[in-house]
Amino acid sequence: MNGSFPLVEGDEPSAAFYDAAARGELLMQRGPSGTVLPPEARTDPDSGSADLEPVVVSGEGTLVSWVVVHQAPLPALADAVPYVSAVVELAEGPWLMVRLLADDPAALRAGAQVRVRFVPSGSEEEPGELLPVFEPV
Amino acid sequence: MTGAAIAGLGLTEMGKVYGRSSTSLAAEAVRLAVADAGLGLSDLDGLLVSAGVKQDVNVNLAAVLGLHDLVVLNQVNAYGATAGVMVAQAAQAIAAGAATTVACVFADTPLKPKQSAGAAWGSGAKRPGAAKGLRGMAGWSVNSGATNPNILYALCARRHMERYGTTSAQLAEIAVAQRAWAVHNPLAQMREPLTVADHQASRWIADPLHLLDCCLVSNGAVAVVVTAADRAASLAKPPVHVWGYGQAHAPRRMHAGSDWGLVTPAGRSGPAAMRMAGIGVDDVDVAELYDCYTYTVLVTLEDYGFCAKGEGGAFVSDGRLAPGGKLACNTGGGQLSSYYMWGFTPLSEAVIQARGDGGARQAPRNDVVLVSGNGGILEHHSTLVLSPHERKAS
Repeated sequence: MNGSFPLVEGDEPSAAFYDAAARGELLMQRGPSGTVLPPEARTDPDSGSADLEPVVVSGEGTLVSWVVVHQAPLPALADAVPYVSAVVELAEGPWLMVRLLADDPAALRAGAQVRVRFVPSGSEEEPGELLPVFEPV
Repeated sequence: MTGAAIAGLGLTEMGKVYGRSSTSLAAEAVRLAVADAGLGLSDLDGLLVSAGVKQDVNVNLAAVLGLHDLVVLNQVNAYGATAGVMVAQAAQAIAAGAATTVACVFADTPLKPKQSAGAAWGSGAKRPGAAKGLRGMAGWSVNSGATNPNILYALCARRHMERYGTTSAQLAEIAVAQRAWAVHNPLAQMREPLTVADHQASRWIADPLHLLDCCLVSNGAVAVVVTAADRAASLAKPPVHVWGYGQAHAPRRMHAGSDWGLVTPAGRSGPAAMRMAGIGVDDVDVAELYDCYTYTVLVTLEDYGFCAKGEGGAFVSDGRLAPGGKLACNTGGGQLSSYYMWGFTPLSEAVIQARGDGGARQAPRNDVVLVSGNGGILEHHSTLVLSPHERKAS
């Protein structure tokens, strides 16, 4: 139940994130208060500051919630169903909405340990960026 | 302060209504609501417009309706919370003397012929000529697979199940109870009785949500006319008094300690509206709760204080919300079984119930009718407290 990963092409704003993924690193952001934030964050809610810096995190986390998706939400994901989408809490605090590689979704439980893994998007003929996904430890 | 009342209600055809624009349906709904109140279009001095999924109706509706002399005109959007927000804005404008008669209208036409309901929510990704790959950070987001409300609400329901032991069979109780009400609603799209077994056998959309946990998709429009309570009393229909309103907004925080999915802004909006109305949950005779998914009803009941946090599953069991149950809830069948008009689904049924016009589905008591609106992914909330009676001075 691990699906396929539609082709992703990086662009200027996403270059640092995908370059880190290619090195096997998960890149987040950190605000002046020290709070670690997901890549899409634009403001550090603890300080109100928009001054965020990149930070590499451990890639370790716990499972907050998950869903076994049977009906593809987009045509691009038609070949991927069924697959597992999850909310993961990184050890550093931020929550990420991610794909979870799970051979036995029935065995998943909230609080379970998970870690990042990097998988290629696209196909062998047409490879795209490496993507951070998660799997149970 | 001048109290406000809903004096008119207009509903167009609902469901698979094809060949008409949202604007055309919106205009019809306003005309129907004005006529229902015994008024003419020229009596309106305010118009609030809400567009749904298609976002293709706006303030130009005033020109379409020939309304050339308004003092209030705006497009309002708090997603599924919009209906309650609009009625509150209309009531405030009337209380302040800024307007006398305000129409609030919602219209949407997401459905097309020969298209599944699911496809109505698709994105531009299927357009011919779309980029071959997904670009930038959006590519990672799309690959998470959590890209539509079905999946995001399922994440919320799963959290509740893991934390409190809530089950899919308990969610089924909500769908079954609402269908039992819809059987008696001539306006409802789905009127065949339903069992818990039917719900459990319906296909998975996003496990833990089955097909029968999810709302319908409908084309159509609904409008209400809000005016001063004393004026409403002399109009064509019995007034539905606005006793209280509230709203609260909590865009989800994606961080450790977040209670997203387990606790919603209903927990602030509901008590605020009930405080303003001078009532408590025990006074509620009819609850018309926004039900984009069965789980939305369950978590709203908890956040409003009908039961303790975590006890929603037990609370909705044994037919409590069904006809003859202890709490008349979503008496028209709700968005799950009647029609999906964002917050105008619960609002329209609330007006029908408060007037005593529910026919075979009329609730046994209707002195206090509670209406909820919910938008985003349990992130935006509005509440109305309505009554056929003028509110006693406190």
